[in-house]
Amino acid sequence: MARKKKCVAMLLAGGQGSRLAPLTENVAKPAVPFGGRYRIIDFSLSNCVNSGIDTVGVLTQYQPLELNDYLGTGDPWDLDLNYGGLHVLPPYQAAKGGDWFKGTANAIYQNLKFISNYNPDYILVLSGDHIYKMNYDIMLEEHIKNDADCTIAVMDVPLEEASRFGIMSCDETGRITEFAEKPAHPKSTLASMGVYVFSTDKLAKYLELDEQNPDSDNDFGKNVIPLMLEAGEKLHAYLYKGYWRDVGTLSSYWSANMDTLGEDPELWLNDDGWRIYYRHDFHSPTYLGENASMHNCNCAAGNEIDGQVSDSVLGSNITIEEGAVVKDCVIMNNVVIEKGAEVEYAIIDRDVRICAGAKVGGDKENTELTVLAAGTVVEAKEV
Amino acid sequence: MNMLGLIFADEHSSDISDLTTRRTFAAIPFGARYRIIDFFISNMTNSGVRNIGVIATTKYESLMGHVRYGGEWDLHRRKTGLTVLPPFSFFNGEERYENILEALQANINYIKENSEPYVLFTTCSAIGNIDYSAMLEQHIESGARFTCLCTKDPTNKTEGMQTTEYVLDEDNRIEDIIIHHDMTPDAYVATSTYIMGREDLLDILADSLEKHKMSFRKDVLMPALKDSKVMAYVTDEKLLYVDSVASYLKSNLDLLDSSMRKELFGQELRPIITRAGNSSPAYYGEESKSTNSIIAAGSVIEGTVRNSVIFRNVRIKKGAVVENCVINQDCTIGEGAVLNYAVLDKNVMINDKRLLSGYVTHPFFVKKDSVI
Repeated sequence: MARKKKCVAMLLAGGQGSRLAPLTENVAKPAVPFGGRYRIIDFSLSNCVNSGIDTVGVLTQYQPLELNDYLGTGDPWDLDLNYGGLHVLPPYQAAKGGDWFKGTANAIYQNLKFISNYNPDYILVLSGDHIYKMNYDIMLEEHIKNDADCTIAVMDVPLEEASRFGIMSCDETGRITEFAEKPAHPKSTLASMGVYVFSTDKLAKYLELDEQNPDSDNDFGKNVIPLMLEAGEKLHAYLYKGYWRDVGTLSSYWSANMDTLGEDPELWLNDDGWRIYYRHDFHSPTYLGENASMHNCNCAAGNEIDGQVSDSVLGSNITIEEGAVVKDCVIMNNVVIEKGAEVEYAIIDRDVRICAGAKVGGDKENTELTVLAAGTVVEAKEV
Repeated sequence: MNMLGLIFADEHSSDISDLTTRRTFAAIPFGARYRIIDFFISNMTNSGVRNIGVIATTKYESLMGHVRYGGEWDLHRRKTGLTVLPPFSFFNGEERYENILEALQANINYIKENSEPYVLFTTCSAIGNIDYSAMLEQHIESGARFTCLCTKDPTNKTEGMQTTEYVLDEDNRIEDIIIHHDMTPDAYVATSTYIMGREDLLDILADSLEKHKMSFRKDVLMPALKDSKVMAYVTDEKLLYVDSVASYLKSNLDLLDSSMRKELFGQELRPIITRAGNSSPAYYGEESKSTNSIIAAGSVIEGTVRNSVIFRNVRIKKGAVVENCVINQDCTIGEGAVLNYAVLDKNVMINDKRLLSGYVTHPFFVKKDSVI
């Protein structure tokens, strides 16, 4: 029996994320921990399964070991299927030689064979490094209704920020008339979110054309989209109004973590209507000691907290001893903060030890964000 | 591994019936995110047991929903794994077996089909992080026919309830088995956990079926004391009992002690594993005050929590005070409500400003899905 899928998602997870260093020193950006228990890629993967897309190719390239381990068979997202499911797609050698993925478009081009296994009508192209909750199925329905060749998800951004994004100009029907990658003088405020729906035959055609151009960077935003526009294909914008963050820099990563805090958080993680699934690591429940005080914090499992923590996001297996003060921090797994240590406005990567009496960071208004790389030991002196 | 594991999920004691009206004993939630059976499956897999049968006779839906194919413990293998063994009409239409021997008789085919030379079988009465491989080692070295687990420290065992005690000689050989209604101080208290040869067990089951013997202790173990080697394995691990609502509360609150937590959950090579939920991290609000408590993920704490065990996805609203309590999954405690020595089963709604108070020996128990 010939089988097919309506839509296959291709998730670009090969980026180095160099602006997130040192968090990305040993791990690909999509596998960087987020929000206490998640990895960045959990948001795109959960969006897929929550949108009814059960076939996802994850394109890896940079530091894939931990990402591959984390993805495994795809079981945390119910993507361990016999037909479909999650497939990790690394660069490979072929009869005509092999190559690293040269760009986002080339990564998909090299995996057209994977896509053809599922004979999909539509292909959803995603980035594995954005934090958002989005129903792709609504976008796909729009794409079908508009009879478009490509639909690009856009957000309305403030004009002063528009030059950081790919900016669309549209006519009154939502059809894209012009696309400018990071324009100095933006003509509109509709910014691309890096989420594309393509009709399969058109994508295959333009990837092939792009591949034949030796001068191309093989990038969707820079090359493929302009090429399709020039050729007069029907490109539509899909306006998304929910939460979306590109956590490409340390400060945006910190801010997005803070967005999960509060009684009515901007990014609600405990949303039964839109679960964010993650691979579980086993920890006993968190214990709060006699001296603990926790205010406006998210706190995962396996922690022993006896200090004062406020306005912070805590991962798992963290010890915060009596008298330690933690404020405005993102703290990842296996961190120890000893007695009387003070940590403020900082991102603390995994396996860090902050010794008794040490002081890390400072007041958020007057100091730069402090970032401690994985495995750092901070002795009792100022950092 | 050369040992087959069998777990009896039921306990028919009436003192715990509040918690077992809608679930079998082994499925009782414990320690903020576990169910009692997690400790037994984890102990077995940590000891190298690869084939585990879970014998359940009543109300086993929540148990089956929890363990499923044992995937969390890596037990969903092709050739080995976890099998839930629900009852079938075995005793001429009588569907429920009341004791270990009957349960073993009913599942004789499962025992036959596997090939391990030894069988470990246990009830779920005492919760601990127990190394069964050390028990097997002693069993083999001593050349015993039966090895029976016991403890000198049955923490929180309810007074006045039936206790099986072993009388040992200086080599830990069992000389006598005594049933008490009050515990003797310093006695070796049995936990109904046994290791024996599989072929031997099959012979005993065939014989007991033929002769209509009904009790493992009375009809098998006691007569064997005279001419077989029946050894005790005395565990040093702490064992927590859950045989009444009061002991359920006490055993949960004992987890607030750091040495108890370390012993139960901090053993690096012997982790206690449970079925993963998908909760977000717990959130502590601006006005929350939580001390000396265990609080699971997914909970939202805006009020005050002291000396308590809080399960997943519990909401404690502003001004609420929860002290010395066990609050099960999905409960909501309304604004300004005050709870002391209360045990709330799952999905209980306590409205604003309610006052609930029990005592450590008589906790205020609230049934699953209640609204107060």
